[in-house]
Amino acid sequence: MSRSHFDSGEKVKKKLKIIGFLCNWCSYAGADLAGTSRLQYPADIRIIRVPCSGRMNPLLVLKCLQEGADGVLVSGCHPGDCHYQEGNYYVRRRMLILKNLLEYFGIDKRRFHMSWVSASEGAKWADVVKKVVKDVRDACEEEVKTAG
Amino acid sequence: MVIKKIKTTAKDLLTDGSVSLIIGYGINGLGDVTPVFIKDPDDVEKLVWNDQCYYNLIRYLSDRDFIEQNNGSIGIIIKGCDQKSLKVLLSESQVNRDKIKVIGVTCKGLMDSDGNVLAKCEACDVVYPDKDFCDVIIGEEVKKKEKEKDFSDIDEIDSMDLPDRKKFWNNYFERCLRCYACRNICPLCYCKECIMDQHNPLWVLPSASVGGNRLFHIVRAYHLTGRCVDCGECERVCPIGMPLRKINRKIIKVVKERFDFESGKDQEQKSPLTRYRENDSEDFII
Repeated sequence: MSRSHFDSGEKVKKKLKIIGFLCNWCSYAGADLAGTSRLQYPADIRIIRVPCSGRMNPLLVLKCLQEGADGVLVSGCHPGDCHYQEGNYYVRRRMLILKNLLEYFGIDKRRFHMSWVSASEGAKWADVVKKVVKDVRDACEEEVKTAG
Repeated sequence: MVIKKIKTTAKDLLTDGSVSLIIGYGINGLGDVTPVFIKDPDDVEKLVWNDQCYYNLIRYLSDRDFIEQNNGSIGIIIKGCDQKSLKVLLSESQVNRDKIKVIGVTCKGLMDSDGNVLAKCEACDVVYPDKDFCDVIIGEEVKKKEKEKDFSDIDEIDSMDLPDRKKFWNNYFERCLRCYACRNICPLCYCKECIMDQHNPLWVLPSASVGGNRLFHIVRAYHLTGRCVDCGECERVCPIGMPLRKINRKIIKVVKERFDFESGKDQEQKSPLTRYRENDSEDFII
């Protein structure tokens, strides 16, 4: 039985599985700020802390989607503010290619997102998660509908 | 006559000791063109040159075990499309330029068994290999045509609805055997241990399921970003007729449009994924 959500005809679950890869220095801190500020946002996201968004390998994103994640989010520092100077510039190029490839093969582009969230942008983090969860849910529902 | 000049060039290179091996095109027992490996100067009679010389012989140069077995220099016959993949290999330091003798041959286009020009040849802009890159050039000089690459078939797929696009590709992913012919013939797939063969961690399902095949092709295409020169060998050898060039050309199109980069033009080029510009496209980022 395929664990991948690409080909399943299952009904869309109430709680989605969205994996978020957050860079340690900006996005993770921003998400933490959202938490300490008691900002409300959907709980469908599961966060993995990475040292830098530049560590992100498209294979990791693909592995998540293959293993049953409904969506993946990669979040890093704003360009120019990377803790390691250039990591986010490189990942920006990599993920652009990945996004184009996924879409080309018929995988809904709403399943993969990328964002820049800085350590002070707790509110932005909450908005990013709300948007991502909504997009992924729409993508799942549309897929179930067209699968018949 | 081109073939006569190829044979004399090969013979001269072997007899004066410049090379110890010539890789070129010959005829096999079934009458089809096949790669030949010539060490004896008298064997140059085996060489042929016609419009069925499909193979990208550069594939042998990216095989490090093969290179190690041949201590001397290697003379290799290339067409314009093969030249591009050689330039990429040189830019990645996979080939020692001093240990090869590049024999470029003008190619007016390859034909399939029905007499039609191959699709990749209709779009060709390197009929005449670079004079300053090859050690020897054989064939008439042809002015380089600056042709705009035609991506209309890619645009056609891009304009399909998501379910139709998925169905289009699933049709091929269902039939893909995971024979790895496309990977094995590609001159730029030279990793000693391919990521598809890794079991720990398991990145790509080894079974020939739709999901596994989709992932295989996504990952292979991604690993060729900014490197694939569209030599078309993968599509030629695929036993189920998957339009692999449509996958690689999609990435070539994106790399050209977004990063302003074309692979195989210059052996000093650096891969676009190892570079960045401050104003790279961010339209997909929240």
